[in-house]
Amino acid sequence: MAETQERFDPLLMAVLSRRLEAIIREMSNTVMRASRSAVITNARDMSCGILTYDHRLICVEEAMPIHVSALELTTRPITELFDDVKEGDAFFNNSPYHGVTHHADMTLCVPVFAQGEPLFWVLSRSHHADVGAPEPTTYLPYAATLYQEGVHFPCVRIQEGREDKADIVRIGLQKIRAPHVWYGDYRAQVGACRIGERRLKALVEHYGADTIRAFVEAWMDYGARRAAAAIRELPAGTWRYTCSHDPIPGVAEDGIPITAAVTIEPEEGVITVDLRDNPDCVPGGVNLSEACAAGSCRIGVFYNLDPTIPHNDGSASRIRVLLRDGCVVGRPTFPAGTSVATTNVNDRLINAVQCCFAQIGAPHGLAEGGGNMSAGLGVVSGIDDRDGAPVPYVNQFCTGLSGGPGTHGHDGWLTYEAPDGGGVLVLASIEIDEAQYPVLMEERRIACDTMGAGRWNGAPATQGAYRSLTGPASVFYCSDGDVNPAQGVLGGRAGAPSLNRKREAGGGFRTLPSFHEERLAEGEAIHYRTVAGGGYGDPLERDPAAVADDVSRGWLSIERALNVYRVALVRAANGIDIVVDEERTRLLRAWA
Amino acid sequence: MSQFQVSIDIGGTFTDCVVSDGARLAVVKAPSTPPAFEQGFMDALGLAARAFGCDLDDFLARTQRIVHGTTVATNALVEGRAGRVGLICTAGHPDVLTLREAPRKRAFDWRLDYPKPFVPRSRTFEVRGRIDARGNEIAPLAEDDVRAAVDHFKRCPVDAIAVCLLWSVADPAHERRVGEIVRDLWPSVPVTLSHALNPIPREYRRTIASAIDASLHGIVPAYLGRLENAVRDAGFAGTLLVANCQGGMMTVGEIAARPIHAVMSGPTLAPIAALALSDEPDIVVIDMGGTTFDVSAIRARSLIRTTEAPIVNDLLGLPKIDVRSVGAGGGSIAWVDSGGLLRVGPVSAGADPGPAAYGRGGTRPTVTDANLVLGLLDPAYFLGGRLPLDAQAAHRAVATVADALGLEVAEAAYAIHVTSNENMIAAIEDITVNEGIDPRESFLVAGGGATACHIGEMARALGIARFMVPGVAAGLSAFGGLVTDIRGEETATLHTSDRHFALDAVNPTLASLRERAEHFLERAGVPVAERRYEYAFQARYKYQSWEIEAVFEPGDGGLGAGDVPALSAAFHDMHERIHTIREDDGEVEFTTWTVRAIGTGSAIEAGPAATQAGGRLPERGTREVYLGEERAFRALPAYDGNAPAAGAEVAGPALIDSDTTTILLLAGQRARTDAHGNFHIFPDENG
Repeated sequence: MAETQERFDPLLMAVLSRRLEAIIREMSNTVMRASRSAVITNARDMSCGILTYDHRLICVEEAMPIHVSALELTTRPITELFDDVKEGDAFFNNSPYHGVTHHADMTLCVPVFAQGEPLFWVLSRSHHADVGAPEPTTYLPYAATLYQEGVHFPCVRIQEGREDKADIVRIGLQKIRAPHVWYGDYRAQVGACRIGERRLKALVEHYGADTIRAFVEAWMDYGARRAAAAIRELPAGTWRYTCSHDPIPGVAEDGIPITAAVTIEPEEGVITVDLRDNPDCVPGGVNLSEACAAGSCRIGVFYNLDPTIPHNDGSASRIRVLLRDGCVVGRPTFPAGTSVATTNVNDRLINAVQCCFAQIGAPHGLAEGGGNMSAGLGVVSGIDDRDGAPVPYVNQFCTGLSGGPGTHGHDGWLTYEAPDGGGVLVLASIEIDEAQYPVLMEERRIACDTMGAGRWNGAPATQGAYRSLTGPASVFYCSDGDVNPAQGVLGGRAGAPSLNRKREAGGGFRTLPSFHEERLAEGEAIHYRTVAGGGYGDPLERDPAAVADDVSRGWLSIERALNVYRVALVRAANGIDIVVDEERTRLLRAWA
Repeated sequence: MSQFQVSIDIGGTFTDCVVSDGARLAVVKAPSTPPAFEQGFMDALGLAARAFGCDLDDFLARTQRIVHGTTVATNALVEGRAGRVGLICTAGHPDVLTLREAPRKRAFDWRLDYPKPFVPRSRTFEVRGRIDARGNEIAPLAEDDVRAAVDHFKRCPVDAIAVCLLWSVADPAHERRVGEIVRDLWPSVPVTLSHALNPIPREYRRTIASAIDASLHGIVPAYLGRLENAVRDAGFAGTLLVANCQGGMMTVGEIAARPIHAVMSGPTLAPIAALALSDEPDIVVIDMGGTTFDVSAIRARSLIRTTEAPIVNDLLGLPKIDVRSVGAGGGSIAWVDSGGLLRVGPVSAGADPGPAAYGRGGTRPTVTDANLVLGLLDPAYFLGGRLPLDAQAAHRAVATVADALGLEVAEAAYAIHVTSNENMIAAIEDITVNEGIDPRESFLVAGGGATACHIGEMARALGIARFMVPGVAAGLSAFGGLVTDIRGEETATLHTSDRHFALDAVNPTLASLRERAEHFLERAGVPVAERRYEYAFQARYKYQSWEIEAVFEPGDGGLGAGDVPALSAAFHDMHERIHTIREDDGEVEFTTWTVRAIGTGSAIEAGPAATQAGGRLPERGTREVYLGEERAFRALPAYDGNAPAAGAEVAGPALIDSDTTTILLLAGQRARTDAHGNFHIFPDENG
């Protein structure tokens, strides 16, 4: 490794790595701004990346971790299936058995040629709003096989000579609901990849292919070196942690326990994540694709290393992943269903890996973060007739996000959403969602007394309510977290579970099932609460001033401050602000 | 007797003043004097008077107009000294300022704190009442809630109140009524209503702009009042105008009423200066100071506006000239990370202790130290000799990085210099490449005293062949204040589509915006002959949610049905330019309409000067400079760049030193001076 480093000019390495990041930023910006689906353009559920032509990840920027942490599995099938890849081609793939995360993450890959030779892949992955499944949703927890998932493009050539192949596009236009929205989203991906291609060609032209090739090797070495250096600072040993996905009727009646075993070998600078001791695939849509299983092991480890380490093939090479065929968190057996592969069980898996590090003890590790597929992320469909002619719509709203895990020195991140997302989703504007779709977002607020208590709290849940303004509507969701909340670590408490309810026309409330389609009639509303993050460390050690702040901002009640944190609070002279009663707090904590 | 035009830009360290008497320009600098900024302001005026050989009374009596750019609003926000705000919001949505649009973070970083909201939740009050996206009233305003809010805010207490209700841009009736009740119950408290300040959809952006505006009501008007009193007391009888964040000027009364427009008022003048200095269509404008590097761009002779300008932990929420700052200045510190990669910044040595070369106890290597080791700076002639530099201290500091990298000290200094270039290049690319602009098709104007010894290499790395180091480089923003237009902007939200274009709604909206724009220029005292209006719309394809701006000409009688295809075509073209794709049969939705009011009577005729053959620059001898291309020191000729004769030419490699800056010309680059003392650098055909 050191030899390559000496050969390659260190300052040119800095130059080129920044240049590649800028290219990906530009690609991502194009996808976000030019797309049509709310889930992409308002919530930013998309990512872009650059790989070498021989399938090594070079660079990702502002991407969702689950989208990009095993990207090599997505491009590899192209060179296995095609022996005539040429400039101007583009390949479209949403098949979990061809290296894609799940069927909604439709992915466009474009080869980048320079002087007639293929050097790179540029890649754009967007979570589409519909995939032509039997029901209008992209999350199908009961779809036991791929045959129930809707349309698949199993790594097909969709462009030649930089032009769409109309026959391939026609498959999507027929099979997918709101086809103009799908096509607009696909074209945004084309724009992004062609921009990436253009910029990379210019880069190779400027520096020469040999310099760029040498850079790639040095950059991979740099990633490996940074990751190894970080791993060398950790203690040696093996740690295990188990999380459990909620029961799914007919699929997994007792829930799905997921165990990660993390072995740290500081001398070798290697971490091994072993998932082989886990249940077989279940007869539903929550099995992981291989891309998700492999990627999530890396994610759980990277969450515990220095975040400035480049997330490339080099750093990933310091993480060994052991998977098993036919395992719910391994390599699924065709045609097992993987519709919900990126979230639910997958979020439990990332939690299990990241919490192994907390078993080392402070200051390591994270608590569990809230996974969230509550109705706050529901896929809503209906008819919009606000402007005259009735127009059918289907879209996923990202209106309420889950709370992040506490960690040593920091409370959880509020707009976390889920372990798979890295906190990079955008929280959609209520006004933009309401302008585009005929819904009224009645409420969205931080839910009081939901945080997982700790010396550092998990972030609170968000609660909200919405209803249709144009007659009946349908809401799909698969809400893991209603039963098993996000647990705390090292004395930290669990956060509040998620909750999905319907407000009936008369004003009464009814709790809804967790994995469910609910039909809303006129005057009815969905009320959701997302999952709160777990706490880190003993809540009795939390700084009383921070507890007072939590009460002031409405995240915590005075009663819970007293009962859980043993902090006595009183109102200031203005009757509004909250201050600590130092003496009573000292006594309370002494007796605790 | 000549008359003076004056522009003063107050920064954190220096107060820059540029003066024109119609024949020549003078740039002077006085130390800034926070918190009594008016002192530094008057000091700068005193220095300016002296530069023209008259006393202050005489100077001010002959000054027609003073344009002012200030960091007072920016600094109040950055330092958390803005006023306490109470926020009135729609029931059910009290956490808009906490949730934001989810703050941006690095995906793998969890060891960080979630940013606190601009207005605490305990100063946020929900009122019942709801308007929907089409302007229908879903629930009536609960006026008792508003009265309870006022009572609550009086007890807190707060200094100002911001009101932002959902969909007040579709129907402002509830928001207006809230304003009436508040003023009725608490006449003395300043109130900002969101639909009046910033009529755009996206509740977070409208709310944060309103809250920031409210927080500045106690600061900006008082500051401007002190300034105006000081200069009036000294005998100034002309017009005092303040630069706004949209790249124009506003009267003191205008900006005191909407103080958020004073945020970033100084740096936004830099691209305006560049427009006046050059007639190039596409320009990148850079300004390297002690701790930050500001960059902006001009496209097709137009300033670029952004709706996503960041300020502290939030967006500004309001459109402004897109000037971006990164932590890359002369004082940025170099270090080596755990993987052996050299980093520069964002931490800065600041003014104290400053770079090691300043000899004030600094030991960590900065960009200035590296430049001194490389021979780019003359230790005896920094700031015209007023600040002698310690070359040995700089060498020792750079050696710490050289050891860690296993390089010679000069090589390490060059690595620091080039890494700093890369940070600045990334910022330039961020504002060009990311916006679909090819920097290679741009001309570059370099402001700031520290920039000129980096610009040659940065231009080469970016593929920019021609660039300019203005004679007023060290006071570029203040110069912008001399040449800027008076500019106001009136905006309205009105949704329509090219499939059923609402001519009967759009035309009255445009007429009303135009009327408000005319009133604005009236108040600013702009003669009718100097008034100009620019029309723009924001549009998107149906189901997109991010708009693109395009400009249009409505014609005298307003828009007709036959004009709609041209509006759509302007949008398709702009979409393809930015995103490389277009959809000619896609439905185009128009969301926002803008009329910009422009008073064109600028203070001086700057204009690009014709170059002529002739003059020579005096030689200052030679200096040993480390050249990256040769990886070795080489003796370069140094020339005196103070008050250069027009038409003088210098071929690189060479140095041009003046009191406030040093230009490094690389081999193959040639500089020529124009009649205004600007240096134009271009490829050397003979080289």
